[in-house]
Amino acid sequence: MNKDMPHKCTKCGREYKDGSTEILKGCESCGGKKFLYVKEAEIHKDVLEEKTIDEIAEESNEEVLEIVEPKGKKQVEMYDRVESIRIVAPGSYELNLEKMAKTDERVVSVGKEGSYIIDLMSMVKEEPKKKRKK
Amino acid sequence: MKIFYQTFGTVKKKFSGLLNRFFKKKRTRIGIYGPPNAGKTTLANRIARDWTGDAIGPVSEIPHETRRARRKEDIIITGANGNTVTMDIVDTPGVTTKIDYHEFLEFGMEKEEAIIRAREATEGVAEAMHWLREDIDGVVYMLDSTTDPFLQVNIMMIGIIEARNLPVIIVANKIDLPDAAPARIRSAFPQHPVVAISGLEGRNVEDLYETMIEYFG
Repeated sequence: MNKDMPHKCTKCGREYKDGSTEILKGCESCGGKKFLYVKEAEIHKDVLEEKTIDEIAEESNEEVLEIVEPKGKKQVEMYDRVESIRIVAPGSYELNLEKMAKTDERVVSVGKEGSYIIDLMSMVKEEPKKKRKK
Repeated sequence: MKIFYQTFGTVKKKFSGLLNRFFKKKRTRIGIYGPPNAGKTTLANRIARDWTGDAIGPVSEIPHETRRARRKEDIIITGANGNTVTMDIVDTPGVTTKIDYHEFLEFGMEKEEAIIRAREATEGVAEAMHWLREDIDGVVYMLDSTTDPFLQVNIMMIGIIEARNLPVIIVANKIDLPDAAPARIRSAFPQHPVVAISGLEGRNVEDLYETMIEYFG
């Protein structure tokens, strides 16, 4: 496959096969987060022609890939949560006050991630109450 | 004549009942909110005792002693200038974002009892939040002056209360303790009245009553 183009770390020049998942964590040698697609034929250009990787990037017109680590992941965990109560373990709870302040509807999550209990009764109770208020 | 007075009496009773029901709206329902162990029940008991002679609930040094909202109705508070305000005081369970039974084990509680306490406390927070949405006209937000007021839960709760447009008085409690720093609370919430008291000793509670009449009256 001539489409197969290896990645090259822009910091230390280490090569990785196309589509290798190791680079998602950054370069194994130097921890660099920027990688360049290099043609198979030009892969040793930096050493042979004493060019920097930036120069190769300019010549080949390839874009430098940057591994961006998801930022604010923790905040999303706190505020955009769907559940009002998370049962971390028996007797250990995390409460989503903002959710609780908005509605009585209870969505309870169990364990670490992705498992929910939805209290349907809490979601239908609301209606007659509102009517009575009027 | 006797019969007349009797019927007059019952009519009067019925009529005043009707009047009471009619003017029920005038009564303000004040919720005492705050993190666990801020002294909410101690203050609720003091208010109830000062103005009605009763108590509201038991207090304890173990967090989450109050796990159901407790209410004392028709408390009439009179200020120095003779102004009065009639209110229902709702003592609510401490609001927090994390409840873990391990916390109670440190107080010598058995594991099973601690797990039940944690579950009840969780239900209590849900109930407190329910009251805040449905039934509260004003909030007394209690803080322990010996602890950091900039806790996320406090900022979040004050934000929620502000979003609901409820009048709020912040109480900097436990000023009887040597490391109390009510000034820190004042600087944390400059947008709201802050009253420094000792709910336990009753120090400065008159100030709080005056502020309550002013803001909730």
